[in-house]
Amino acid sequence: MLDRVVSQSQLLALVDELALSRRIVGPVRRSDRHFYGPVDRADKLDLDFKYCVYSPKAALFPADQTLFEFQTGPDGFQTSPVYDESPLALVGVHPCDINAIRLLDRVFSNTNIDEHYLSRRRQTFIVGIDCPTPCTSGVFCRDMKANEAREGADIMCSPLPPNGVSDDVRYGVVFGTDAGREFVLYSHAGDPPTVDDERASERYISDKARAFPQSIPYDVDALPELLERSYDSLLWEATARRCYSCGSCNLSCPTCYCFNTYDRLEMTLTSGTRQREWDGCQLRSFAVVAGDHNFRAKAAARLRHRIYRKAKWVKEREGVAGCVGCARCDRACTAKISSVEIYNQLAEEV
Amino acid sequence: MKPRIAIFSLTSCEGCSLAILELEDCLLDILGAVEIVNFREGMTERSWDIDIGFVDGAVSTPEDMKEIEHFRECSKVLVAIGACATHGGLNTLKNYQDESDYRKYVYGDQAARFPTIPAQPLSGVVDVDYQLPGCPMVKEEFLEFVKVVLTGRTWHLPEDPVCVECKRNGTLCLYEKGIMCLGPVTRAGCNAICPSYGAKCEGCRGVVHDEALKAAGINLREQYDVDLQDVLADLRMFGAYQEKTLP
Ligand code: SF4
Ligand code: SF4
Ligand code: SF4
Ligand code: SF4
Repeated sequence: MLDRVVSQSQLLALVDELALSRRIVGPVRRSDRHFYGPVDRADKLDLDFKYCVYSPKAALFPADQTLFEFQTGPDGFQTSPVYDESPLALVGVHPCDINAIRLLDRVFSNTNIDEHYLSRRRQTFIVGIDCPTPCTSGVFCRDMKANEAREGADIMCSPLPPNGVSDDVRYGVVFGTDAGREFVLYSHAGDPPTVDDERASERYISDKARAFPQSIPYDVDALPELLERSYDSLLWEATARRCYSCGSCNLSCPTCYCFNTYDRLEMTLTSGTRQREWDGCQLRSFAVVAGDHNFRAKAAARLRHRIYRKAKWVKEREGVAGCVGCARCDRACTAKISSVEIYNQLAEEV
Repeated sequence: MKPRIAIFSLTSCEGCSLAILELEDCLLDILGAVEIVNFREGMTERSWDIDIGFVDGAVSTPEDMKEIEHFRECSKVLVAIGACATHGGLNTLKNYQDESDYRKYVYGDQAARFPTIPAQPLSGVVDVDYQLPGCPMVKEEFLEFVKVVLTGRTWHLPEDPVCVECKRNGTLCLYEKGIMCLGPVTRAGCNAICPSYGAKCEGCRGVVHDEALKAAGINLREQYDVDLQDVLADLRMFGAYQEKTLP
């Protein structure tokens, strides 16, 4: 059931309205690709994008973020936390990335409440745009049950099939939150859905179900067990011999949330900031502990760890897989190591 | 007492020691915390009682040999700055050529007046306490190093490859454009500046670890249709890759 129907120009007008009180981050074209980037006006966005090279994660969990400022002096050591609470709107977020944000929401709010993430997240309005077909080859979002996002966005827009009346793309809008509902209705944007719109939306949904192929011969719910049996597989070693341990797979993943902390000192040497920067389990130094002991010193152990995290451990702990099937890791890997291929090879082995 | 600092140059363009002068904004702050006692690019008075000696340039002449041994003796801590000092740098290109050839095309009929030896990093001749690689060295890294030393912390070079910085910066990977970039095998710390301008990494900060080099050998043979010699030539440019063979 749709809540509203808006044309693309009406949606852009809505974004301009959001821009009155929020920073806008959405798909922009750069070096022949699309990236999520800041814009001040909606017409700088390209809503007809297929996919963005990186996810919008950096807007919520920056690659390098100040956690607190510190100062030493006659009064001892003093710290003051730094939170970014400036209102933000993420526009044009696809279901995979919305599901990834939902996972980050859980991770950063369950055992360790992470105010640095949550303060930004609370101030974030999400305009989702659904994918009628896979955005590019190699994705396996359907297998990860992440090619739909019924929750997570404030408003979710699905491009409806053309109705022959207008050339403008029309979106069927579903409100995901009260904030989304209030915002759209208060702006009087678009129209209530007609019977034809509802029919078009049903057709959209059934077309979409056919458009996404299955890429892994296992249900995502069965992957933990498959991996359980694959601990000693020869695949890890055989694949990881090519691995550069460069961490590109981790750092381009929308669900990876590991970070490292370090201090940045001012030149006065008496004050500075504690920063956190993205880290990744494929990097060699990730698991080094005191005494220089590395408890995952081998690339094969690191590769297995990543795949276990994505399809087993996070699933067992959070109820949803740690992977949304966006295939950014696979595309980022200059050694051409592919996670979806790994799942398939393991499925063949057992 | 303020640490006494010296900056020396061997065979190089002296760009790295000039880079220190370029830190104008912070230089005054640095001067507040240290005392610069010997610096050809920036002062005339010189002293040889040195706490930290920074050296740029490779050991490439018999004269360099003598100088580096002297610098080592006079400096409590010796720091190699820039690719020439840490890896031999561009100077090592001559090591792959015939000596009489390059002497002739560089010095012409004066060649006999300029004795030369195969170029090598400082560590080939003396013990080096710290290395700050890159061509040129990274100014920000130099500053961080100075701060770490002044506060008595432990200095670590980044142990990750350049790709990590591309990802943090949100740069499009050059492999997506079919360009063989050396980022996966090169030590980070430059903030992936070359890829951020669309130029491939040429490994000026040296190989990050042998495992990555080994993976490169396998990938270049099995996954890419490229001429291994071209990639090796790239790796040799700044001396990142010398006697080691791709496994
Ligand atoms: S593991 Fe790979 S496919 Fe899965 S969410 Fe991360 S980048 Fe996307
Ligand atoms: S991107 Fe590829 S080469 Fe780099 S760490 Fe990941 S699997 Fe290894
Ligand atoms: S452009 Fe080079 S350094 Fe950057 S991610 Fe790609 S391979 Fe790594
Ligand atoms: S990207 Fe590579 S070549 Fe460029 S500065 Fe960094 S290490 Fe040097």
